[in-house]
Amino acid sequence: MDVMEKTDEVASVGAREYLTFRLDQEEYGIDILKVQEIRGYERPTRLANAPEFIKGVVNLRGTIVPIVDMRLKFKCVKAEYNDFTVVIILNLRSRIVGIVVDSVSDVMELPADNIKAAPEIDSVIDSSAVMGLGSVGERMLILLDIEKLMSGLDMGLVSGEE
Amino acid sequence: MAEAHQESSGSGDFDLSQFYQIFFEEAGENLDLMEQMLLNMDLETADDEELNGIFRCAHSVKGGAATFGFTDVAELTHQMESLLDKLRRHELQPNAMMVDVLLESADISRSLLARHQAGEAGEPPSSADLVRRISELASGATPAVSTPVPAPASAPVAAPAPAVVVAAAETPTVKGERQLEIRMGPLERLDQVDPVKDLFRDIAGLGEIVDLPSDQPNFRVFKVGTSSSNEDLLDLFAFHVAREHVVIRDLGEEADSTPASVTWADDPPPDAPLAPAPGFGFFDGAPGAPGAAKTVASAAAAEPRGTAKAGGKAAAAPLAQPEAATIRVAINKVDQLINLVGELVITQAMLAQNSRALDPAMNQQLLAGLADLDRNTRDLQESVMSIRMIPMSIVFSRFPRMLRDLASKLGKKVDFVTQGEATELDKGLVEKITDPLTHLVRNSCDHGIEMPEDRLAKGKPETGTITLSAAHQGGSIVIEVRDDGRGLNREKILSKARERGLDVSDQMSDADVWQLIFAPGFSTADVVTDVSGRGVGMDVVKKNIAALNGTVEIDSAEGYGMRVSVRLPLTLAIMDGMSVGVGDEVYILPLSSVVESFQVKPDAVSTVGQGSQLVKVRDEYMPVIELEKVFQVPRFDSEKSSDIMVVVEAEGSRVALLVDELLGQQQVVVKNLETNYRKVPNVSGATILGDGKVALILDTSALVRRSRH
Repeated sequence: MDVMEKTDEVASVGAREYLTFRLDQEEYGIDILKVQEIRGYERPTRLANAPEFIKGVVNLRGTIVPIVDMRLKFKCVKAEYNDFTVVIILNLRSRIVGIVVDSVSDVMELPADNIKAAPEIDSVIDSSAVMGLGSVGERMLILLDIEKLMSGLDMGLVSGEE
Repeated sequence: MAEAHQESSGSGDFDLSQFYQIFFEEAGENLDLMEQMLLNMDLETADDEELNGIFRCAHSVKGGAATFGFTDVAELTHQMESLLDKLRRHELQPNAMMVDVLLESADISRSLLARHQAGEAGEPPSSADLVRRISELASGATPAVSTPVPAPASAPVAAPAPAVVVAAAETPTVKGERQLEIRMGPLERLDQVDPVKDLFRDIAGLGEIVDLPSDQPNFRVFKVGTSSSNEDLLDLFAFHVAREHVVIRDLGEEADSTPASVTWADDPPPDAPLAPAPGFGFFDGAPGAPGAAKTVASAAAAEPRGTAKAGGKAAAAPLAQPEAATIRVAINKVDQLINLVGELVITQAMLAQNSRALDPAMNQQLLAGLADLDRNTRDLQESVMSIRMIPMSIVFSRFPRMLRDLASKLGKKVDFVTQGEATELDKGLVEKITDPLTHLVRNSCDHGIEMPEDRLAKGKPETGTITLSAAHQGGSIVIEVRDDGRGLNREKILSKARERGLDVSDQMSDADVWQLIFAPGFSTADVVTDVSGRGVGMDVVKKNIAALNGTVEIDSAEGYGMRVSVRLPLTLAIMDGMSVGVGDEVYILPLSSVVESFQVKPDAVSTVGQGSQLVKVRDEYMPVIELEKVFQVPRFDSEKSSDIMVVVEAEGSRVALLVDELLGQQQVVVKNLETNYRKVPNVSGATILGDGKVALILDTSALVRRSRH
């Protein structure tokens, strides 16, 4: 039921543009309007007692921005840091967060018809943060509600009191 | 008062004058804001928030004007505030007339301020008429000036009145003797006010009083020539007739030099618009007379704007020169500038690093250029930083003068002590904290400190002490206002709260009770004075501080005094830091908390109960905190180990931090981690190092607390 509502919401606004990125073999899409910029990976300053997937904080032109490694968060097999590792800087409602991904593919417009509700599956991703599955030719795109995903308590980006 | 300033407001005390500009800017902003809110207000549905907002604007201007000794502005805004206070308490219903009068008062306040800003040059615009009209509105009456002009001939005296008032409003009041028309009533017995006439006979220099015929049976009207202020007159009359039953109207100079008063008293003209005609010849030579005639010919109700314009024009000329002294820039533009300069510094550092490998002989010009770049970026960074950072002393030094005036006005004896003036604070914060602090200090003086005799009776020293202190504490700046006065009265606050219909119970904790005084309009003062007692102060304080993400805490012991602590986050405070290395990581310690550092010998550290480590430093044992363990620093080089102790002091205790190396001291800009992340234990913030990396700033208070558990 929950998922159905969400697809309705997507359908009502019509086609949206998504930035797609790769984590291991999977392809994900996030609302392009939440993306501030894309930059190369630089070693962040480690934060003590933080979850493993929070790599630390970096200086983004004077702003302190936490960096989350999505590959660690989604329990990918390997998470390497090389010259091709990319950080997507997200501008969410109240905060700026960077996420580490394997690579950024492209920006694509996805009509609402091409988005199907995701079936209930057991996954490391909170199912309420999945907006649906988009089909582009033979590829399957996992559309994430990145705002919701990042503000979840398990992300450890916000403290419990908030 | 330890530091008494004897200068009058006009002569420009050297210390104080630098704040005049800030006050003028603030007052201008407040007046603009008030005007905007007044214009946007829907009279029918004006809600509390709007009315409170307008009220606060007037209150802030008044507070500032009183601080700097601009009594004319303070007096006018005080009247505005009284009217607005009744509006927000719903004792009166707002109407268009009030809005007109308030807008006009804002205009006059502006021209009065402009005059003060220009160094008291020129004639002050008259505010006496406005003050009267506001107080009439506040008492629920309809001021004469707003009566529609085409009055029937059957009310002969009332009709020409607007003409005379208009003339007065157009003319700047000349200090010295004034001609006043005083109406008293409604009276129970007409002879009730006869003693007032005796006052003028008995008190030398008070002036002359003449009976005028009254238009209403239960009113008495007098013509008075006096040099005393309206306030003084009202005080004198108060013994015989209630203040609200007295209306003083300034007849102005012309009224005196022409038979105008006689005209409207003895020979009422048949029609109002014709009223000035007989007097027209007399007005010819007088300044402002043509304006008066013109306005009367049109509807008197439209007049207020005319007066305002006249006042504004007079102010326009002297206002021209001080304008270029400062410019006001949006904070976010400055922030952007600071961030860009930060980036530039990092780029410059990178260039310097890369150029080191170059052959000096081959690249002489390039290297000389880079050296220039280095110097220029450093200067640039310093200048940009200095835009935002100012020491607290700038705020603190506003207060001695204000307190001195206030204390002498209230007949109290107060010593003012400041601590931590050198604490540097972001300018944005300083500007916003000034108003709340002013309120707190005034409150302490007015409500906190007792009268000298009461203090002696309680066995306290005759002179009260108000202490203002600022300090960095943990991740915040704490500014405290302390007084050794009477403190808060729990019972009184609770009963006041019940009166106002707030939900309270006797079981509430003290801290919860103290929080009640932050409710809008809450005041425990028995008398409303122009100093405080309207209950506006604390609600403004709370609102302003909450807007800065800060908190206010109250601590009070009845009979012993009270302490208000304002805790503000260090959004952009600058700090002297000491950078230390642990493993491959760099941490910053606030230099203010560092006591000493030394290399430690392994045998100097002993353990207690197989856990806590202690180190002996000159006969004192102190707990050791290994930063490597606290921050789980990964060790790649097992050869190296921490062998340097840095002793830090916070919250009254000392601990020794074990680090690998001392890297240096530098000024760092404190950045908030919580903007985009959450609170990190033992860390108060972060900063950006010269190489662009982020370094965490340690929260020494938290580390000290940690060692205690």
